Amino acid sequence: MRNSVPFLLFFLFFIACASPSQIPAWKNNATAYLEDYKIGFLTGKEGPNEPHFAKARRELSSGNDLHLLSVAYLTKYALHAASLENFETSEFARLYRLEPTPAHMAYCHLLKGNFSAVEPTLLPPQYQGFLRAALSGDVKIALREISSIHDPLSRLIACGIWTRYFPSDENLLQMAIQTASAQGWRRPLLAYLEKLQIHYTTHGNQAQAQAVGLRLEILKK
Amino acid sequence: MPLSREFKVGIFILLCGLLIFSALIYLAIGKGVFEKMHVFTLSSKSGDGFTEGMPVVFSGFNIGKVHDLELSDTGIVLIKIKIPDRHVKWIRSDSSFVLYRPLIGAARIVINTPHLNSPPLDKNKISDVSTINDINDAITKVEPVLEKLSQITDHVELLTRNLSSPKGDFHRTIENTRLLTSSLASKKSIVEMMLGDEESTKSIQESLKKIKSISTNIDSLVQKVNQMADMTNDQLFGSEGTFLHVNLILKDISSKLKKLDQSVDHINRILSEASDGAKDIRNLRSDIDDAVRSIDNAVQKIDALLGPQKKPEITTP
Repeated sequence: MRNSVPFLLFFLFFIACASPSQIPAWKNNATAYLEDYKIGFLTGKEGPNEPHFAKARRELSSGNDLHLLSVAYLTKYALHAASLENFETSEFARLYRLEPTPAHMAYCHLLKGNFSAVEPTLLPPQYQGFLRAALSGDVKIALREISSIHDPLSRLIACGIWTRYFPSDENLLQMAIQTASAQGWRRPLLAYLEKLQIHYTTHGNQAQAQAVGLRLEILKK
Repeated sequence: MPLSREFKVGIFILLCGLLIFSALIYLAIGKGVFEKMHVFTLSSKSGDGFTEGMPVVFSGFNIGKVHDLELSDTGIVLIKIKIPDRHVKWIRSDSSFVLYRPLIGAARIVINTPHLNSPPLDKNKISDVSTINDINDAITKVEPVLEKLSQITDHVELLTRNLSSPKGDFHRTIENTRLLTSSLASKKSIVEMMLGDEESTKSIQESLKKIKSISTNIDSLVQKVNQMADMTNDQLFGSEGTFLHVNLILKDISSKLKKLDQSVDHINRILSEASDGAKDIRNLRSDIDDAVRSIDNAVQKIDALLGPQKKPEITTP
């Protein structure tokens, strides 16, 4: 009996160490590629063919998971929205027809500026306050709600959506520039600087517009 | 008490005698000498083929033999067969007896018993013996063949008679052939022979003459065509002919093609070198992929060593 105690302890230790299930390689790889894509896109290092996104897409396709594939496409659209770039949602629409997920559609509506079509409870929690601000159209509420978003990428996405579908606001643009520059995200940084320059120009503030232009020139080199 | 030599010899002789006697008795029993024999009487219209000692067979086995042959007062042959007691069970009231005379081999009486449960054959009953004669059967089979052979010989005779007859078909055919060859040998035309009519022959001859005049016309036409061909020949192949110019152009093209050949060779060489280069690049790419994969594996192993793997989550940003 005394001899069996160490054996029992070893057995319990062995069971405790065991993983409940093996994570599939495709999922691991897809997550890694998607993260690389996000960083590469925001820092401006991702090539025009978006190779990391293609790799992530291939891995997710290997797993036959249309749900995750939809998430990948929505991530891509969100990054474009955060960088004030146009995007086409046809691929997501095709996936949605095959495997409809209302939460995904709500997120897509938010990115496309269809705020009235969005069911607030289906959105990720960080955007729910922003949606209320967007529905009211009040820039002050929007500034408050966006600044309360903790995640920098989500904050930048919200800034992008507002800038795209509402009149530009200097404070909001400045907040976006600060967020992007703090993370070293070159692509949205340049986009917001350009937008700020246009804002100053349209509001008759030529000196500041010029200053932003010069800054852009230096940063683009 | 010792036994005397005479006594021993006496015992030996007695024992030998006993042994020989018992052996003889044994053999006699084996041969059925002491066995009870049953005699059955059979009848046949003819005694032909029957002999004394002829075997009596049941299912291919000898079960007895013909003991005696007698001629009755009515002129019927009575055949007495002797069957040992152990075989009498095969002979029943419904048994039939057949004299079988094969083409080759000895004749025998064959017993056929359809029902072995039938009562035994009464010894006083005289059964008939039917006959199967293979020799007679063979003769009856050969007879129609012989008949056909005789018919064939008749036909052959008829043929030879027809051939030899001077008024026969063969002679007439020979005569016709002779007439045909004689008319061929005469100077009459084949056409006349064929048509058998002189008027028709004349008309055919006239037609042939017309064909001759047509052929002369065609000759003159061909001459004109020849002249035209000569002129064309001059135009094409003369000193100022088209072909001379074409030839010059072809020579020029040929020299240019030779130069082009060299260029193509150069291009081929460059392409093959490029292809080799591409192969090298592909190999290099594969090597790099392998290296990356091995590094990736190593990282995964290190991750596994460092701690439990974090479950990956893919969510919208």
